[in-house]
Amino acid sequence: MTAPTNGARTGAAIVFDNVNVSYPNGVIGLQDVSLSIAPGEMVAVVGLSGAGKSTLVRTINGLVPITSGEITVGEHRLSTARGKELRRLRSEVGMIFQSFNLAKRTTVLNNVLMGRLYYTSAFRSLLGWWKKDDVELAMQSLERVEIVNKAYTSASELSGGQQQRVAIARTLSQRPRVILADEPTASLDPPTSHVVMRDLQRINSELGITVVVNLHFLDLARRYGQRLIGLRDGRVVFDGPGAKADEKVFESIYGRSLTAEDVLDAPVVVP
Amino acid sequence: MSTPPVAVRPQPVQSVQVRPDKPRNGPKYAIAIVVLAGITVWSALAVEVDVAALFRNANNASRTLIQLVQPDYSFIPQTMPALMQTVQMAIIGTAISIAVALPLSFLASRATNPNKTLLAVVRFIMNVVRSVPDLLYASIFVTVVGTGALSGIMAIFLFDLGIMVKLISEALDGIDRGGQEAARAAGATWLKANRSAMLPEIAPSYLSQSIYVLELNIRASAVIGLVGAGGLGMLIDKVRTFYQYHYLSTVILEILVLVVLLELLSSFTRKRLLT
Ligand SMILES: Nc1ncnc2c1ncn2[C@@H]1O[C@H](COP(=O)(O)OP(=O)(O)O)[C@@H](O)[C@H]1O
Ligand SMILES: [Mg+2]
Repeated sequence: MTAPTNGARTGAAIVFDNVNVSYPNGVIGLQDVSLSIAPGEMVAVVGLSGAGKSTLVRTINGLVPITSGEITVGEHRLSTARGKELRRLRSEVGMIFQSFNLAKRTTVLNNVLMGRLYYTSAFRSLLGWWKKDDVELAMQSLERVEIVNKAYTSASELSGGQQQRVAIARTLSQRPRVILADEPTASLDPPTSHVVMRDLQRINSELGITVVVNLHFLDLARRYGQRLIGLRDGRVVFDGPGAKADEKVFESIYGRSLTAEDVLDAPVVVP
Repeated sequence: MSTPPVAVRPQPVQSVQVRPDKPRNGPKYAIAIVVLAGITVWSALAVEVDVAALFRNANNASRTLIQLVQPDYSFIPQTMPALMQTVQMAIIGTAISIAVALPLSFLASRATNPNKTLLAVVRFIMNVVRSVPDLLYASIFVTVVGTGALSGIMAIFLFDLGIMVKLISEALDGIDRGGQEAARAAGATWLKANRSAMLPEIAPSYLSQSIYVLELNIRASAVIGLVGAGGLGMLIDKVRTFYQYHYLSTVILEILVLVVLLELLSSFTRKRLLT
């Protein structure tokens, strides 16, 4: 496996300082969230559906604006970032979605190249005239997730697991300092889920990219996250190493004791 | 010996579940039919459809009809310039309108244009453009720039523009925006994200609709010629004025053949594009 050529960047720190998010319809997304994530850390965020996991990661790249408080990503401040500044921040932050978010009717390679749009002039992107270096970077990213043989295949012809790996390659082609993943395995079967999680883990350890991954399943979170953040009703109710998350902690996150529905792989050994 | 059919085991009935009543749509349909019939009768009365006139003019009509069913094929060579002009008007009109319609469609779709004001302005203008019938455009341009193909092309252009922008912007409204969201999350502007992630998704329907408007244009360019905008329509107007019904039917037959050919081509290509 080759590391992307043009000088990979180091992971960025992410700091939440008293962040509140309320949506236009009045629903509260996050409440008084303060967190500090070190460069190169891999963090798993868990919580019930509606706890605010998506809101948390989407504030980091400004897809959801914060109502009060401050988030810093590397040297960028989210509360003031607009226009070009916001796009610059986003270029340093890759995002992986539950539903893969590929353009289905174009090739895998074109999808991966979308990670280079920030650096591509409007003129070039209108003509689809990608720079050689960017194509090379996209190919290397596809090699890293071992799917380069599909480069010229239409994205719609891939399986779910393959599509998610193309999405990972797309974020890699950004040469990001942070990768956000919003329930990346929710549309995948258990074996494929592990492949995708291992890809993320390798990217984190080999490239030093900070990774924040939302997970619905506790066993996945404990297995792949060095650090576990538990959310409930928009508040952080647990923040610590996965090993420290015992039955009582689970109850505080889930409001009930653990059931088979909270884990991916059955049978389950509850710690 | 055959095995007895597997008995369907009665499912335990869960008392909490209540089966909904079947919705009664009958009266709604009845009312709709009465209203539609009423509107039709009212329209017929309003335009004073005079069935009797058909019979009063029967003599005249039958003479015309007899001529009409006897097309004069020797007239065909003389129609060639007008036929070519009709096809050319249709092609040029289509080419210009689909080129202009593509960027306008992105401005007219909620999915691709985040600027609410610009969106409203573009949509309003396109609604106005679309509400004018092609024949009216032709009359206006014939008055302003004179008779001939140029007026026809301009009329076709505006007519197509309205249709194309409506169809393509609606296609944009309806597609999955995942790729666009991902591109924007990677730092792309709306322009770049739309170009890279939305355009490929609507490309097949764009091509297919382009062929469809070309098909419409062959018909339209035959008709708008009647008001002087060039092509076969203008020829129809000429031979009709001189009561040359043998010639008239030749031209009508030509249009028919042209339209049928194009429709075959169009449905064939569209089917391949959309699958
Ligand atoms: N765009 C939105 N507009 C209004 N409310 C939203 C929006 N997105 C999420 N919410 C609400 O915010 C809360 C947190 O949602 P979310 O962050 O999606 O949770 P999770 O990802 O943990 O399921 C929920 O109550 C949800 O209904
Ligand atoms: Mg979510």
